[in-house]
Amino acid sequence: MLDIKLPEFEKKVYPDLELSLLEPSYKINLRGKNRDFFTKAGKLLSIMLPIESNTSANIKNINALWLSPDEWLIYGKDIDKNLETNLNNEISKLKYGSVTNVSDQWVIINFKGKNIFEVLSKGSPFNFNNFKGKKNVVVQTLLNHVDVILHHQEINDLNLFVRKSFSEHLWLWINDSSRFI
Amino acid sequence: MFLINCPYCGERDQSEFSSGGEAHIERPKQPTELSDDEWADFLFMRKNIKGVQFERWNHSHGCRKWFNLIRDTSNDKIHGIYKMGEKPPKV
Repeated sequence: MLDIKLPEFEKKVYPDLELSLLEPSYKINLRGKNRDFFTKAGKLLSIMLPIESNTSANIKNINALWLSPDEWLIYGKDIDKNLETNLNNEISKLKYGSVTNVSDQWVIINFKGKNIFEVLSKGSPFNFNNFKGKKNVVVQTLLNHVDVILHHQEINDLNLFVRKSFSEHLWLWINDSSRFI
Repeated sequence: MFLINCPYCGERDQSEFSSGGEAHIERPKQPTELSDDEWADFLFMRKNIKGVQFERWNHSHGCRKWFNLIRDTSNDKIHGIYKMGEKPPKV
């Protein structure tokens, strides 16, 4: 049986930086590229999937992150539980695209504060100079050699997605790095 | 270390990418008609020249898309990047 227990990280506060776990959250991976896929996804999510690279779209409690030209991550808290069933029925079963519930595969860590990018820059090859001044931008990169998705939803408010099996290691690394900013 | 301009995500560090070796190697249309040497030649033999080379790269820690890249292997200077299925630019 799969271990779907989520990690339990306590909220941490450092100078101009606050770290907390944003779980449980609902996460769905959407893949598709034809016109019907976009129409169905837009209708069910009430949101147009972003087609511009490294961007995101959001409405109420749903966020749609661009991952690649034919892949998106939908996430949020308190999402209607019928959404996944509806997406499966309207997209997956009709073979317009694929719908995968990845809620248990990714863990979201929320970063708040002015020092977010000081910490991230310590372990990432990505150049944050342009990224940190924009909101609703997304980047998939490495942090301490671990694959992460970064969603800069508001200025100095960022959600970091990491695979569950790497989350504890990364959480410890982030905390260790945050102590020396 | 060098920067690669992913055709989907933009400029990123080389550490986010994986090299897929020489590009534009066509799979033989009738593999069963080939000799063992010809098949091994298709599978394993790559040029790996010093100079301008056409290569396949994958943005493995980003969008996970494959693309082609023209790189000078002697100094890592990139002469062109184009998507899969597109014709290579003249160098």
